[in-house]
Amino acid sequence: MADLGVRKVLAAAAVAVCIAVTVVWAMTGGGEFWPRWVYFGFGTITAGAYVFRRALRVPPGRRRWLAVDAAFCGLLVAVDLTVWVLSGRGYFWPIWTMLGVSTLLATHAWIVSRPPGRRERELAARVSTLSRSRSGALDRQAAELKRVERDLHDGAQARIVSLALSLGMAGDLLRRDPDSAARLLDEARSTARAALDDLRTVMHSIHPPVLADRGLGDAVRALVLDLAVPVTVTGDPPAPLPAATETAAYFAVAECLSNIVKHAGATSAEVTFAGWPDALRITVIDDGTGGADPAEGSGLRGIADRLEAVDGTLTVSSPPGGPTLVTITVPLT
Amino acid sequence: MRIVLAEDLTLLRDGLIRMLEAYGFEVVAAVGTGPDLRQALLEQRPDVAIVDIRLPPTHTDEGLRAALAARAEVPGLPVLVLSQYVERLYARELLADGNGGIGYLLKDRVSDIGEFIDNVRRVAAGGTALDPTVVSKLLHNHDLNQLTPREREVLAHMAQGRSNAAIGAALFITEKAVAKHTNNIFAKLGLQASDDDNRRVLAVLRYLDGQG
Repeated sequence: MADLGVRKVLAAAAVAVCIAVTVVWAMTGGGEFWPRWVYFGFGTITAGAYVFRRALRVPPGRRRWLAVDAAFCGLLVAVDLTVWVLSGRGYFWPIWTMLGVSTLLATHAWIVSRPPGRRERELAARVSTLSRSRSGALDRQAAELKRVERDLHDGAQARIVSLALSLGMAGDLLRRDPDSAARLLDEARSTARAALDDLRTVMHSIHPPVLADRGLGDAVRALVLDLAVPVTVTGDPPAPLPAATETAAYFAVAECLSNIVKHAGATSAEVTFAGWPDALRITVIDDGTGGADPAEGSGLRGIADRLEAVDGTLTVSSPPGGPTLVTITVPLT
Repeated sequence: MRIVLAEDLTLLRDGLIRMLEAYGFEVVAAVGTGPDLRQALLEQRPDVAIVDIRLPPTHTDEGLRAALAARAEVPGLPVLVLSQYVERLYARELLADGNGGIGYLLKDRVSDIGEFIDNVRRVAAGGTALDPTVVSKLLHNHDLNQLTPREREVLAHMAQGRSNAAIGAALFITEKAVAKHTNNIFAKLGLQASDDDNRRVLAVLRYLDGQG
């Protein structure tokens, strides 16, 4: 809308025209006070501008339409009333406008007040889930980056500083005390190796290299080889999978298997990939003692959150005594 | 000895060439991509190939696949595979065809120059050189209580592919003592003993890998 300065100019111009018109009337001998129509015109414009501006401040949506509608109707009634007064009264014809306008406005208000339909409810629920999982995903990402920074700082970075120190000292002692220099160089070598191990561990925790190189199926197959409990892997996930889905699924399976090894007292387990092309469904069954509860323990809760960010779900069936069945489902579009 | 080298990090590639030439090897081809490697292996028929797993264009496991493809054409073509990380899964794939001449080491190992050159020579001679990290993972999942601690040590070195002489040198015992330990190990684990170093190692690895 026009800013304050322009508005002031327009207002001044309107007042000036009104005064000019009044002077013209006075100078043309009076009679019927016709300038009242000019005042009325400017008044209507001003009132209309003000009222519609107020209405448009309502946030977009159904309510804004109602507000604009009410503004229009109010203006219309005011104009009619003013015209009736200015044209000498008589039969109160504005009553018809008022009736029509009230009916219209009442109907509109009733429509707006009805509860939202099923589709709107679904959309509202979806928006709520998306906001929650997005903020969860952002929080998780921030926490993970912090963890990586800390791991690198305490691990690999510290070791490389120590490595540089050993090399510096070795350089110093090279001519005066070659034996000590040789020892320091050996130390430097093993420090370098330890730094590489640290880096490997950090990288694996962010994104296992075998997952990037071979995909989900082989990454899980590689993972189970290193576990204390024998695990068979059957089936294969569809390829290619979206990266976020693949990572979430990998860490979900890894956490399940880690729980099995640590807590379940199982002698064997099986991981199965199925469900595509509509969805990626992974089932992890173990013959352990059961009794797993997703509500306790942050491990399963964390996986469920991670999966929510890719619209995935986790269900656990774990009667005491076993067997335990964990199903991870992620829709694929 | 003629070597084909595949490594896309130029800094490391140049360093390796320098090291290998200092020890009397001839680097007949030094390539930086998967397709170039396949071509070099087939054209040059080297005595041994030293290959980085991760190569362009896909930067996944080009090197590994090129090595396996070349060994399908030329069975037993000696290949020493280097990687920033080792997975038992890849070790299995490399050892699957049962022919010798396979090495699978962490790139870190190149800093131990004497060891590295030994590994290269052993692989070229048809033996095995498996990274101690992989071997310890293999041993970890096995209940080897029937072996004495010394025998477990000998087993670990055997699984890496070392000969009796090398194991003796590493553990500061005589070759004869090593031979006695290996016989005990084979007896206790129920494995077929063999004079052929290579076959012996593969038997040990198959056993440790749980035979599936």
